[in-house]
Amino acid sequence: MVEVLIAVGVIVALFVGFNIGGSTTGPAFGPAVGAGAISKLLAGALMSVFFFVGAWTIGRRVVTTLGRDLVTDPGVFTVETSIVVLFFIGGALFVGNYVGVPASTSMTAVGAIAGLGVARGALDWGVMGEIAVWWIVAPLVGFWVSVMIGRYVYPTINRLIAIDSSEGALVELDRSGAVPIPRAGPNTTRREFLGTVTLITIGCLMAFSSGTSNIANAVAPLFGAGVALNPLILLGSAAVAVGALTIARRTLDTLGNDITDLPLTAAIVVAVVASGIVIGLSAIGIPASFVIIATMAIVGLGWGRATRTVTISEGIRGESKPTVSVGALAAEDPGEEAPDIGEEAPEEIPAAADLFDPATTGRVIVMQNVVPILSTVGAYVTFWLLFGFVW
Amino acid sequence: MVSRVLVPMDNSEMAERALRHALETYSGAEITVMHVVGEPSGMMGKAAKLALADDLKTVADELASDVLSRAESIAEEYDAEVDTSIEVGHPGRAIVNQAEDFDMVVIGTHGGSLSDRLLVGDVARRVFRRSPAPVTVIR
Repeated sequence: MVEVLIAVGVIVALFVGFNIGGSTTGPAFGPAVGAGAISKLLAGALMSVFFFVGAWTIGRRVVTTLGRDLVTDPGVFTVETSIVVLFFIGGALFVGNYVGVPASTSMTAVGAIAGLGVARGALDWGVMGEIAVWWIVAPLVGFWVSVMIGRYVYPTINRLIAIDSSEGALVELDRSGAVPIPRAGPNTTRREFLGTVTLITIGCLMAFSSGTSNIANAVAPLFGAGVALNPLILLGSAAVAVGALTIARRTLDTLGNDITDLPLTAAIVVAVVASGIVIGLSAIGIPASFVIIATMAIVGLGWGRATRTVTISEGIRGESKPTVSVGALAAEDPGEEAPDIGEEAPEEIPAAADLFDPATTGRVIVMQNVVPILSTVGAYVTFWLLFGFVW
Repeated sequence: MVSRVLVPMDNSEMAERALRHALETYSGAEITVMHVVGEPSGMMGKAAKLALADDLKTVADELASDVLSRAESIAEEYDAEVDTSIEVGHPGRAIVNQAEDFDMVVIGTHGGSLSDRLLVGDVARRVFRRSPAPVTVIR
């Protein structure tokens, strides 16, 4: 009987991992696949490898936090309670995908475990409080770092990693040697090659950061119930790999994902800022809320850019000059020099207040919290009923 | 006398019905079709895309072109012409801000997906509650 239950638990954990692989590959490798730098198959493979590396090295710290430290009495994790917790995590992932409002898997998982802990009177409020504080601090850090980047260095980064695709394959495999070596394609410029390498590297960084924080969401409850950690990490990563190589093909196709929609430079900045924060939090054992951190980074970058001040050097060099495309800009006569940024009429610069007013942005953040809150309350009520009337 | 009509449109069928209603009912009036881009999305990427563009206008034109050209072809069916305008930000807010220049706003009850309803809210309700001009809601 116990074997059957453990098998059910493992299957539910695999299902959660499978969905994580499916939903994370898009944001991580969407820009690289979209730019034609790598195939979807290679994206899935890189996702699998770097997720596993992240999970094996740093991810185990988060697993320990969720599976051990968050509850004062490790006994609350039985195979049965773990299955229920995993159902809530998987269900929340499903609801989030179905409704189309992104939700943080880590917040959902912490919520479900906290629901269990409160129902049993075994939640460690100190650990919970520490996690909650980081959930507020980390997005604010992401926001301010991105504001600074958007305001002061975005054009510089943009120039460094400008990627204009030329004809022909970006990267070719040189098969003349014993080991195939990737080489720049026939028309690939050096800068374009570097840009492409940057895109792929950043995808790998995001996959790694996902591994550090997301492996816990799939396997922490079973770890709490006493299953050994290393086999769990291997199994969870394998499930992620299956998701990355199968359903992720579809999520890579749909352009509905907000990171992929951004200009490439912005996608790269957001990826680096958000992944950096997630890896840092994971290293100290805190499950990070990637969705909210990334959202605040996107808002910060856009807001910082929209409220930019013209720097002296920029004004002199005449950078950030809008490209004149005749016909598109009805206000300008053909051939007329586009105005330098300092000379633009105020209404030409996107009104930051219109695009990111606090009420609008706040509503989006609140919606992102709905699924984790539902999972917390749902888990609490479910365990209260189960412990009161069934077990 | 209604001489200037604002028809805010998204890519929904409801919005097309609103435009058809306006074309039929106010055939003598000057009709302006307005589309809002850079609206709130799952991770605010749509707004950020506009804010980060070197040239906001070009990107906004691109994003709006589908809806506005569809509106123009609907107007052609009625042998009419419509003015078009593009606004950025929250649809409800943008529509209410522009409404004072018009005698009438004709809007569909709802459009978009479930996630739009959650992230953006009920645009038609906001417009008929706050618009300075009279509002006709079409369903």
